[in-house]
Amino acid sequence: MGSGVGCKAIGVEWQRWMEEAFCMAKEALESGEVPVGCLMVYNNTVLGHGRNEVNETKNATRHAEMVAIDQVLTWCRDHGKSPMEVFEQTVLYVTVEPCIMCAGALRLLKIPLVVYGCRNERFGGCGSVLNVGADDLPNTGTSFECIAGYRAEEAVEMLKTFYKQENPNAPKSKARKKDQNES
Amino acid sequence: MVSPPLVKTMSKVHLSTSEAKKEHKPPSQEDQDVTAEPKCKRRRSMELESCSWNILPVLSDEESREIAVLQAYAAPVLSKKETSRLVREVSTLYPLEGLQHLKRVRACRDRDSPYPLEMLLCLTLGKEEGRVPSLSELLPEEKVNCFGLGQPFLVLIPSCPPLTRPQFQEASAYWPTSFHENKQVTEALTGQLFSREEKARMQRYMEQAIEVAHQGAEKGNEAVGAVLVNPATEEVLAVGHDCRKISNPLLHGTMVCIDLVARAQGGGAYNFDSYPLCSFAASVKEAPGAGVTDCFDDASSSSILPYICTGFDLYITREPCIMCAMALVHSRIQRVFYGAPSPDGALGSRYKIHTQKDLNHHFQVFRGILEEQCQQLREKSQ
Repeated sequence: MGSGVGCKAIGVEWQRWMEEAFCMAKEALESGEVPVGCLMVYNNTVLGHGRNEVNETKNATRHAEMVAIDQVLTWCRDHGKSPMEVFEQTVLYVTVEPCIMCAGALRLLKIPLVVYGCRNERFGGCGSVLNVGADDLPNTGTSFECIAGYRAEEAVEMLKTFYKQENPNAPKSKARKKDQNES
Repeated sequence: MVSPPLVKTMSKVHLSTSEAKKEHKPPSQEDQDVTAEPKCKRRRSMELESCSWNILPVLSDEESREIAVLQAYAAPVLSKKETSRLVREVSTLYPLEGLQHLKRVRACRDRDSPYPLEMLLCLTLGKEEGRVPSLSELLPEEKVNCFGLGQPFLVLIPSCPPLTRPQFQEASAYWPTSFHENKQVTEALTGQLFSREEKARMQRYMEQAIEVAHQGAEKGNEAVGAVLVNPATEEVLAVGHDCRKISNPLLHGTMVCIDLVARAQGGGAYNFDSYPLCSFAASVKEAPGAGVTDCFDDASSSSILPYICTGFDLYITREPCIMCAMALVHSRIQRVFYGAPSPDGALGSRYKIHTQKDLNHHFQVFRGILEEQCQQLREKSQ
């Protein structure tokens, strides 16, 4: 962990931040987006809120974390702060384990700590598919710590609800296509 | 100043070329694909190309590894007409589960041998120390009638099915295996997958990527350029350079191109108005992926809905990082061509995201297009 910032931040407030992240995830679900919500907290202040915006932006990289990162960057610009200094002391609270891409982004920004709800079996970059967060990558920012499991079942339930209704904008999975061909 | 790393790069190129060609000779029908032009002219330009850069497929670990071997016992078949009965009986006793790629019987290697066939009996399973057991020790009388078999001997067998022709040749040197050849992979490994015209086109796309990389670097960004192409129409859809210094530390060249395509399709998250070199073609709105059929695993057929970068190719001067590589998975890219590898690169060097098991999309990756120039770009920005 970077500087002990994480421990302080999760002390009293972390449940409240996670509650707020869950509200963002619900909002995403209601908008037909993958239900992931997150918060970026610096100095006990929320600098970025994010929820998945892939369908809205037609950009498959617009995950909750990437949206929140952009808000933090805007805040930095508005307040004349150096983004790298701010991110190095920022904690991410997110309902689902960051994917491989987002884990890479968090490393590049040197975010020291991630608190998340459930595992991400499809794309997880903090242990589920790969462990980008912890791997030895000397040219890709710094590794980060994770604290997992907060309201994990609820986070999984939301994902299941989403995948049951089927994302009309996502391509059919290859596996499904093959099944159809065979039948 | 550039020369020592350059020498290194050159030797790397030669190394990978010899690696790719080590195991197999070019097929004899090499001149088949081009008919229109006189031979001498073609040969000259081929030579010119092969001097400047080589295109190499970036295969999965399974496809690129060396063949591992296990120790096993085999025995000569003394009486040929007993072969099918012996195969039946021995296979029942020792089914060799997980080794279905192995043929049970092979022609005898020793031409002077009076016996034409040899038969695989069983794995040694750690008993390889010391003497080779006798037939009756290996094949209990009540299970196998050993009539027709000679004295057992030790052999090495390939432990996994071969996935590429070089692996097949390596494996077959130990013991015959079955092999389901992927012709495209074989052609890719021998440098014959792409025609001269295709390579010329690839070079043009990469030259364009290098050009914008230089211009982006002049504004303080990392010297990385990228070009997104629809191979079905041969149209450049988006051109972008790294924008991390001027706006956002995550706007690597790949992320810029992905968002440019999103913008062209009526979405997008960033405004590139102040970076006029980052641009897209107006025609991106037309359904992507249509008419694209050439692909190792037919990921894009006309039956699936187009999704962002489905059916598109990315040309990028250096190997993408883990964030960008996964962004390409999310965007359903069809193929990526890069110039120079990156130390933590995620399409070959540190990870092979394009072949990662468990992910819902895989794609083809080729490296080495204008590698020398791209390597110089890398060094420029370090």
